Amino acid sequence: MKWFSGLLLLISVFLWQLLSWLGILPPYRIPSPLGILKGLSTLLVDGLPPGYLLHRHALESLLRVFYGFGIASALAIPLGIVMGWSKIIRAILTPFVEIVRPVPPLAWIPLAILWFGIGIKSAAFIIFLGAFFPILLNTISGVLMLDVRLIEATKVLGARETDILLKVLAPGALPSLWTGLRIGLGIGWMTVVAAEFTGVKSGYGLGYLIMIARDIQRPDQIVGGMIVIGFIGYFLDSILRRIESRLLEWM
Amino acid sequence: MEPLLRLINIRKTFNSVKDQKVEAVDEISLEVWEGEFLCILGRSGCGKTTLLRMIAGLEPPTGGEIFLENQLIRGTDPNVGLIFQEFVLLPWRTVLGNIEFGLEVMGVDQAQRRRKAMEYIKIIELEGFEHQYPKELSGGMKQRVAIARAIICNPKILLMDEPFAALDAQTRFNMQKFLLSLWEKTGKTIFFVTHNVDEAVFLGQRLILLSSRPGKIISETKVDLDYPRDIHSMEFIRIRKEALQQLENN
Amino acid sequence: MNLKRAKSLFMASAVLLMILTPLLGNPCAMQKVRLGYLQSDLHQLAAFVALEKGFFQQEGVQITIGGIFKAGPEEMTAFASRELDVGYVGEAPATVAVANKVADVKIVAQVNLEGSAIVVRKESGIRSLQDLAGKTAAVPGYAQVQDFLLRKALLQNTIPSRSVNVIIIKPPEMIPTLQTKQIDAFVAWEPYPAKAITKGIGEVLMYSGEIWPRHPCCVVVVDTQFLGKHPDVVRGLLRAHVKATHFIKGNFEEASKIGTKYTGMDLETVKLAMKSIVYEYVPDEEGLLEYVTFLNKLGTIKVEDPGEFVKRIIDVTHLHRVLKE
Repeated sequence: MKWFSGLLLLISVFLWQLLSWLGILPPYRIPSPLGILKGLSTLLVDGLPPGYLLHRHALESLLRVFYGFGIASALAIPLGIVMGWSKIIRAILTPFVEIVRPVPPLAWIPLAILWFGIGIKSAAFIIFLGAFFPILLNTISGVLMLDVRLIEATKVLGARETDILLKVLAPGALPSLWTGLRIGLGIGWMTVVAAEFTGVKSGYGLGYLIMIARDIQRPDQIVGGMIVIGFIGYFLDSILRRIESRLLEWM
Repeated sequence: MEPLLRLINIRKTFNSVKDQKVEAVDEISLEVWEGEFLCILGRSGCGKTTLLRMIAGLEPPTGGEIFLENQLIRGTDPNVGLIFQEFVLLPWRTVLGNIEFGLEVMGVDQAQRRRKAMEYIKIIELEGFEHQYPKELSGGMKQRVAIARAIICNPKILLMDEPFAALDAQTRFNMQKFLLSLWEKTGKTIFFVTHNVDEAVFLGQRLILLSSRPGKIISETKVDLDYPRDIHSMEFIRIRKEALQQLENN
Repeated sequence: MNLKRAKSLFMASAVLLMILTPLLGNPCAMQKVRLGYLQSDLHQLAAFVALEKGFFQQEGVQITIGGIFKAGPEEMTAFASRELDVGYVGEAPATVAVANKVADVKIVAQVNLEGSAIVVRKESGIRSLQDLAGKTAAVPGYAQVQDFLLRKALLQNTIPSRSVNVIIIKPPEMIPTLQTKQIDAFVAWEPYPAKAITKGIGEVLMYSGEIWPRHPCCVVVVDTQFLGKHPDVVRGLLRAHVKATHFIKGNFEEASKIGTKYTGMDLETVKLAMKSIVYEYVPDEEGLLEYVTFLNKLGTIKVEDPGEFVKRIIDVTHLHRVLKE
């Protein structure tokens, strides 16, 4: 089946190029596939602005995401386990979570710039906000969904509270937690692009790159940048998926 | 000699959904002697699982006291082992990992843990399966792992909650024989709960019959037959018939 | 005549009236024009004045606001998708859009000259352009006029442009980032430099007029097809624009009040800003040629003959006709 969808993709790209040549799809409306490839190559070879190469842009954005995502995971996972375990803590913290969660991370940008400036910290903060909640909520639900008897069985064997948290809840919540990580990373990656629109101190970033391409009215480079973003996002998720199938081979 | 386990006037009342009081267990008093194989026999829903959970320390009794070697039971205790009907192994741990769990929690070092666990793998006859996950095991194998997991911690008494009810007839029979040989080898005190009359008469030295809703002791019978028991013998059939009768009348 | 007949006669005449009335209307009926301009851009004060004082209407031009944009490129995209007929926009984004064949517009009038500045933080110790070496400066957009001005200034003072870390930040974020020392300088259009001063955060290192005297900044552009179809409407527009430009020159107080209304900035800031903006309606071909050459060199656009390109994009025939009147 996979080759069939590949074939379909190839045909549509060909048709697209054809329509562009015929002038039905004018290049300023939507760049042709060849135009996008050309734009992509200029990004790789010349860079945008000239001298600022594509791989550096990608690296910067990745760094910001790992920073924000890393902190989000480090905070959300233990907090999620504790909130899943303790009814009291869950009752106290849930209102805070539910008020902050619906606010789109991008709405925090002005505050983030005020607090952290335009360096890596403010972008990481925005990404943190995007990734934190899916990880937290999925971890909590992972704990809540655990069979009570698993906890009872380990209690009977002498497990104390820390044993239960570390040896039962954490591994038990892992399937749900990992889904949360995948969602969080996906949102984090999407957010970084938009977070960079307001400016970055280092002068590098994929979102920043797209903004510049927009400034000089080069839709071919804009789409080229989008394709790179899409690929990297897919690649990141596939890494998580690979790790998941290893970690969850017991399922 | 003092009994190993003593239940004195144990009562358990639950609040049902409509805030009504449901009496699950009503004034049960009994004694368990060290090294004996005791069977609690009763129909489904007669409160025998609740009784077991109270002894395991998972539920507090509404009234009465439970003493293990003259110590009041207040919560879970590694001295009291528990086997569930649904095995309840940790799915993310291998056979070895599950068996070692109790020792891990006790702080035993890795080398020693591994050695002991390998011993028990031999006892439960699962050599070669050390690194399998529970999902790859049959029901009987899983229950054997659960038993190993429990007795490796050397509990004073082993509670078993209808442990073979989820298994097919052939496996159940094999497991019953396995349990008896294990009991003979280790001399552990076994508190076995079941609704299966044949099983109870086949396994237990003493039978305590429980009535349904609320759970109350109907009678106590001694089964003086030698092991392994012949299910076709006259005595076996007589005891069985009597037990069935008593259960029906209550 | 019975009731039924009367009714049908009434209906028929009503329908007839509805059909005929538009035809009976003024032959020079008002043509709706979709206008776009930039948010909070004091350079485009002429547009605000013309709207506020009704100059467009007086010339028989019916304006609807097609959009208020945060930045020039966005406005040019609106032209590309045929959402605008006329726009007040930076000459730079307009030029880039036409050169890259994204939009098809003509420059029909100038809106202002100069009106930008290099701003540095108050106690930063930066006294001259040389002091910018090794520092971080922000411009509103890549290859925009402000970016060009900075490079030109550095070049004029033989400072290699590589020695300054130039990054792109949108003007509203420039003042907070300057304050928190994230950047050391920024180049922006008024009223942002003025705001930095009135807020006590920054001071002007150099006004754009010092770098490039009388350099072009904002222009009036018209969609080429619209211009072809309604040249008379465009002329009416230009009359209003010229009137508004004169008004600003002769009525500083009132013009500045209109400026506060449309930019949302306080009066003190607006008055200070207006002092460095030259409101002018005659397009400067030389200035545009220099800018197009710069873009060509940068590789941002690829124009074979910059001179020919400039002649093609600027269309002053209509402005000249209006001025002769």
